[in-house]
Amino acid sequence: MSDGEQAPSAAPAAEPAVLARLRVRFPDAIVGTHAYRGDATAEITPAALLDVCTFLRDDPGLRFDFLADVTAVDYLGSMPRFELVYHLRSIVQGHRVRVKTRVSEESPRVASVTSVWRGANWLERETYDMYGIVFEGHPDLRRIYLYEEFQGYPLRKDYPKEKRQPLVTVRDVAPEQGERTVAREQQRYGRWPD
Amino acid sequence: MASRVVTVERPPRLRAVDTMGPLLIVRGLLVTARHFFRNLFAFMRGRRTIATILYPEEKMAWSPAMRGMPVLVQMENGKERCVACGLCEWACPVDCITIYPAETADEIERYPEIFDIDMSRCMFCGFCEEACPEEAIVMSQRVAIATTEWRGSLWHKRDLLVPVHELDPRLRYIRRGYDRPDVPTPAQTAERLEKR
Amino acid sequence: MDAGPTNPSLTNDLHTQPMEIQMGPSHPSTHGTVKITLKLDGERILDSEVEVGYLHRGFEKECESGEWYQAIPYTDRLNYASPMINNVGYCLAAEKLFGVEAPPRAQYLRTIASELSRMADHFTCIGASALELAALTPFLYCVQAREQIYDLHESLCGARVTTNYVRIGGLQSDLQPGFAELCREKVAAALTLFGDVDELLTKNPIFRERMEGTGTLPADALIAYGVTGPLLRAAGVGFDVRRAEPYLVYDRLDFEVPVGSRGDNYDRYLVRFEELRQSARIIEQALRDLPDGPVDLDDPRFRWPAKGKVFNRMEELIDQFKLVTEGMRPPAGEVYQAVEGANGELGFYLVSNGTGKPWKCRCRAPSFSNTQALRDMIQGALLADVVPTFDMVNMIGGECDR
Ligand code: SF4
Ligand code: SF4
Repeated sequence: MSDGEQAPSAAPAAEPAVLARLRVRFPDAIVGTHAYRGDATAEITPAALLDVCTFLRDDPGLRFDFLADVTAVDYLGSMPRFELVYHLRSIVQGHRVRVKTRVSEESPRVASVTSVWRGANWLERETYDMYGIVFEGHPDLRRIYLYEEFQGYPLRKDYPKEKRQPLVTVRDVAPEQGERTVAREQQRYGRWPD
Repeated sequence: MASRVVTVERPPRLRAVDTMGPLLIVRGLLVTARHFFRNLFAFMRGRRTIATILYPEEKMAWSPAMRGMPVLVQMENGKERCVACGLCEWACPVDCITIYPAETADEIERYPEIFDIDMSRCMFCGFCEEACPEEAIVMSQRVAIATTEWRGSLWHKRDLLVPVHELDPRLRYIRRGYDRPDVPTPAQTAERLEKR
Repeated sequence: MDAGPTNPSLTNDLHTQPMEIQMGPSHPSTHGTVKITLKLDGERILDSEVEVGYLHRGFEKECESGEWYQAIPYTDRLNYASPMINNVGYCLAAEKLFGVEAPPRAQYLRTIASELSRMADHFTCIGASALELAALTPFLYCVQAREQIYDLHESLCGARVTTNYVRIGGLQSDLQPGFAELCREKVAAALTLFGDVDELLTKNPIFRERMEGTGTLPADALIAYGVTGPLLRAAGVGFDVRRAEPYLVYDRLDFEVPVGSRGDNYDRYLVRFEELRQSARIIEQALRDLPDGPVDLDDPRFRWPAKGKVFNRMEELIDQFKLVTEGMRPPAGEVYQAVEGANGELGFYLVSNGTGKPWKCRCRAPSFSNTQALRDMIQGALLADVVPTFDMVNMIGGECDR
């Protein structure tokens, strides 16, 4: 890549241009836009997410090739409860945009953008881990920070900070491997008194 | 003034002569020997240049800004300066301060009957000192506060009180930006203590 | 890449099967708590899986339960090798949300603090890499150089690692007298030590042979993974937040953004190396231009009033009580602010609902995205290449796992 000599900064006036372009291309999908404190933000319908993201990445005038962040916000009490937030930047052209979409508590499902940006893989796993939002089409949706037996989703607002988790028993590894481990440990340390 | 993008220069490819063992060893040894002799001569002249500190015998020279464990200021009459306003309790991010206020006939009217800090949770952040409107809790230079039992890390008021003259360096440090007329200067304190 | 043994007659006779081994979570030659499950054929890596999360402490939940200012000490613990940059990033994001700006002197001091931290981080990274490639001496020199930087941290704020220095709308404290001389002296001492590291490492054939040509990934793949910082710059992309979206006073300073040409581990090492020198240059310029004036915003809605006023005046005392107990109240809204951390773009996404506590405080950690690309970097490589690659990815557990 030879974009080492890109312009030092994008003019602030260029920001709403991203939103205008999106509005022209997806008139039905845009729920709202704003540029609070200069951060261009577009809120879209969840169904259009994959199309909008692909367009944002591939459009020669936008080229958002860098997915900085995926996260969710829990607006407990308001109607579609969760909001997914994607922060994008174009390394080549130097502008940023924030794309948001809301999903409900009853079916917290949204399309995965791993096919658009490879880096979404772990970021979506983290969001699933923390908020329980399911990304459809994700190749490997598992918890990333916490363990499989963890109950609940810790960053949801109705998860108390002090909540204790039940103790986890011995995990079933691949059966024959587990047996071998147990046998070896018993040989080494003796049997655990029942 | 501006920033530029420059490509870093890679050293030329390795030649066979670069990989010859003895030469390499000599080159490396020159660097370490330089350090060795510098330290040795400095040691012989009585001026230490090595960075290691022989800990329990030697202590580090800390700057007055050093934030150690928070302690309570004990005035000359033996009482604490704290008025139990509770601001430090609010400001503490990990909630490790516990205060039970009580009333007193002194001019400050209130004092903390119980003032506990759970040192196993305290992270020496200094917010309590910044929040206190009385300069009653300050960060001392104490850090060696390990205990062998967990109850030992709960510090009560009587353990936390430190006479004001011992805290002089810190008080002088936090008073750089202002005067406090009602508080005696360190010199005055020393004078008064001498008279006693 | 051909993954099997080279001699076909061997494979016919011998029954071989891929072997699975666990590297980590606390492996002596990785300076981070991460588990890499490797599927090996001989010494060649067929597949791998990187597992993080061993240092997860619930940073976001913890921030959401405190006042705005109470999150600052937690940010120290994100990237504990460069704590000041995290402080600066969080406070800049909060200031953007609040719509305030710190006075110029504070901006310059923040720049100095960030660059000091960047130096400390690169010292750690290079020293630890050398150690893990079995070179102990450069590690000791690097740690000694890092101690010089930590001395400066201590002079600035009173703590060596858990700095808690930057405040929303200002700084914890102004400089001590004589800081400029101390800073020049310590940075020079650190750079001298680093000259020795340079002599020992840069041209060392063993070091070069382990670093050159390993861990390479093309620039577009790196961008697709969200990799930033020295890793991306080593692949030839000159993306540096300090240059692309100048914050603080970086637009007024003269510095170079080093980029590499081949994108292997050796380039990453060289880029870090050059950044160290540039950081020293930035510090020197910032010290030269450092303006006089207050370091704190004089606005009782956001910044705790100066202590002298609290002691002697009623209004400020009331302000102090209100600010401590209720916290500062930003308008409702959301912002994202990125700064250039030592490992790449460090972003903070803050959501406020108008109360004294953050509704959401999200940290975009560069180490997290960088570690994600590790799997592709070591695919098809030899087992021994994992160590230098992982070193140069410089995964910092505190930041990656939050
Ligand atoms: S130093 Fe910080 S953690 Fe410790 S008591 Fe004070 S406010 Fe609490
Ligand atoms: S803030 Fe100061 S005066 Fe108030 S309770 Fe704490 S130590 Fe006492």
